[in-house]
Amino acid sequence: MTGALRPAREAIRAATLANGLRVIVWPVRNIPNVALYNWVRAGSRNETPGATGLAHFFEHMMFNGTSRHPPGAFDRLMEAEGGANNAFTSDDVTVYQDWFPASALGHVLDLEADRVAHLAFTPEVIESERGVVASERRLRVEDNSHGLLAEQVQAAAFVAHPYRFPTIGWPADIRSWRLEDLQAFYRTYYAPNNLTLTLAGDVDPEHAIALARRFFEPIPAQAPPPPVRAVEPEQLCERRVLIRRKAQTPLLHCAYKAPRAADPRAPAVSLLLCALVEGDASRLHRALVEDRQVAIEVGGHWQEGFDPGLLWLSLTLPEGADPEEARAALDAELAAVAADGITEAELERARNLATVGLWKKLAAIDGKAQLLGEYEVFHGDWSRLFDEPARIAEVSTAEVRALAGEILDERRRTLGVLQPCAE
Amino acid sequence: MTVRVPEHERLSLGNGVALILVPLRDVPLVAFSAVVRGGGLGDPSSRPGVASLAAGLLEKGAGERNAYAFADVVEGAGGSFGAGAGPEAISVRGQFLARDQQLMLELLADALLRPLLEEEELEDLAGRHVELIKAAKDSDPSELIGTYGRAFLFGSHPYGRPVFGSETSLAAIDRDDVRRYYEGQFGAERLILVLAGDIDAHLLARMAADSFSRWPRAPALPPGLARPRGTSGRRVLLVDSPGSAQTYFWIGNVGVDKRYPRRAALDLVNTLFGGRFTSLLNTELRIKSGLSYGARSSFSRGSVPGEFSLRSFAQTENTGKALELALRTLDRLRRDGVSPEMLDSARAYTLGQYPLGLETAADWAAMLAEIEQYGLGKGYIDDYPAQLAAVGVAEAQAVIEEAFPAADSVAIVAIGDARRIRGAVGEYGPVTQMSLTDPEFSDGWTPGDENRP
Repeated sequence: MTGALRPAREAIRAATLANGLRVIVWPVRNIPNVALYNWVRAGSRNETPGATGLAHFFEHMMFNGTSRHPPGAFDRLMEAEGGANNAFTSDDVTVYQDWFPASALGHVLDLEADRVAHLAFTPEVIESERGVVASERRLRVEDNSHGLLAEQVQAAAFVAHPYRFPTIGWPADIRSWRLEDLQAFYRTYYAPNNLTLTLAGDVDPEHAIALARRFFEPIPAQAPPPPVRAVEPEQLCERRVLIRRKAQTPLLHCAYKAPRAADPRAPAVSLLLCALVEGDASRLHRALVEDRQVAIEVGGHWQEGFDPGLLWLSLTLPEGADPEEARAALDAELAAVAADGITEAELERARNLATVGLWKKLAAIDGKAQLLGEYEVFHGDWSRLFDEPARIAEVSTAEVRALAGEILDERRRTLGVLQPCAE
Repeated sequence: MTVRVPEHERLSLGNGVALILVPLRDVPLVAFSAVVRGGGLGDPSSRPGVASLAAGLLEKGAGERNAYAFADVVEGAGGSFGAGAGPEAISVRGQFLARDQQLMLELLADALLRPLLEEEELEDLAGRHVELIKAAKDSDPSELIGTYGRAFLFGSHPYGRPVFGSETSLAAIDRDDVRRYYEGQFGAERLILVLAGDIDAHLLARMAADSFSRWPRAPALPPGLARPRGTSGRRVLLVDSPGSAQTYFWIGNVGVDKRYPRRAALDLVNTLFGGRFTSLLNTELRIKSGLSYGARSSFSRGSVPGEFSLRSFAQTENTGKALELALRTLDRLRRDGVSPEMLDSARAYTLGQYPLGLETAADWAAMLAEIEQYGLGKGYIDDYPAQLAAVGVAEAQAVIEEAFPAADSVAIVAIGDARRIRGAVGEYGPVTQMSLTDPEFSDGWTPGDENRP
């Protein structure tokens, strides 16, 4: 399998511009399109109390006009060239994505550089966009049982580290950002030395890098952003959150402290999570949904960031179920995994699912651009992507058992329950 | 470079199975897409959800494997395997490593030809589906709004039925229903099977012939489908969700079918109206007013006309304002049409975007199955750029009149806090009210049901 990837790896080109911007290009000629990801090393991790949600607000403001283009022009010009775009914000990064016909490469890079260099801060536009973000928050949090519970669990899980902030921001903060907050955030984080561009598609890498140089190199580098110095202290005991909300289905979330993305044990963390929750044959689905029927759905994810984050397990329970009973059943399963690890068959299943998952992403230019960026930004080197199949293959049951014993420790978790009530 | 239908082989087995093989060698994966015609059309009208449960049970035990053994072998190989019902077909899709392509076909043949359809698995699955509907109401009511919308708009026409089932119907379905469905609605001439990716076409063709060529035909043709009649005048379904911070709304009427000859123009006009970020709708409801996180429109096209719908949401106190803006924008499209400059922009956008959905083996497996299902021919893809290039203002205008409803002739669904929005939504027509916790997607009787027999 690594053999199948070797020619691709050799065709990829990377460059660092004079101002520190990194550009990585993967040429792929199956469709006449390009996927571009612009990775900004700024997330809710870089925020402060009273100004949470700023990183996410920029995800919106970056579409709202520059000194060269009025509000709305970015999307109008992009779409008229055949391009579409989106963006997302996490605890760690803000990522801008463009998908466009190869012929539009120069235009798209010009538009991307323009908003990094010349963003405008128009008071009326800021006010209107506050409304949009408030609507997004109502959709994802206030009118959403899972979103509401997850926000409270995350806030309880950290006492010192900014990972406690919700990425979308607390409602009062969304209402109260000032122009100066926005300008300072922009200057600090939207600097070329804090960005990485990854491209995959129907382009000549040298040509793409030359174009990136032309549009981005004139933007001056800034002082590096201040490091996030907060270190979350060791969690000493289990924390619990209980929400009563008008709803039909109870929920149970369980968030364990987990390693950071760059931890050498990262592949083992992913495989452990996969063995626990991915697919109908996973340990927790089978035990809790099929056998004991205490849950109707089991999910999970690892918040794979710059700093140690959380490994989440989330259960949706049937109407009328007792969350305490579901917790006891979950704990029995997790205690067994913490003590004995997983079987060789479970590990092999997880390895194969991870391998197919990787290939599914590699089948499309979008997945390629995304993976290049993830490995460059979170693991320090895009080329580590190509070591991933071997790293997956090397994980042993002993390694997973040691890791499970360390992570699945009740003292280092935060438990959230959403209990339905009448009003 | 443009995107064209890849080289493929189409075989017709003697019993009517359509088999399509598409070798694509980018990555060492194989994908399948199997379509069994019938879907929700085969449901008893009083018990929607039978097709959906039958689909779900295909992987819950088949051939020599019970449900656990089936999941173990699929996931043990790193594969995926999933089935679901649509209004007119059951679709089964999956992906495996190329080295497991024979296993993939063996599992698919077991699932389609030899499903166990066990009582206990049915009860578990139906029970879980009931709870999943409740969970969706708690965490994303907008996910269900299309189901309420179709029930309200199409009434007793089959397109009005909730294909996934309702809480009531799912609880009532028993093993005989599922067995009867399987015996009546599965069979050789109903099946379209596409195998794509890093395949050994020769080997798979032989294996597929061995597995499927003795499968009997279904006892009858797929149930027929009348052309639905649209709503005239406005009417409102208010789904009460006390305490909801926003109102989620849907506005729709009957649109056009899959073989609609002006499909390129339809795509362009819908792109301009509600299909992209700078669309008229999103410009009004999000970009200019900040009322909503987003607004979109789309067409659902089947063998007969499905629905045109637009959807958005806004804070409870802005419900009236947002509804008014959405309807006024629809009215503006009907009144002012689109300009040549707008068409050019939409054309560039559509040409630039459609290849992204036709990139992988799984994309092509699904697309070739769709082309076969509706008899669209490969011109559906290969001629698309030329068709887009030829669309002018006159054709766009014709599409607006044929496919987009007048703003005063629509069904409206609003999910929100009835106590606070009933007055606002009542401005738009007679109101039928139900509760979000009701176990059905309609109150059983729809005023103005043009599709009642």
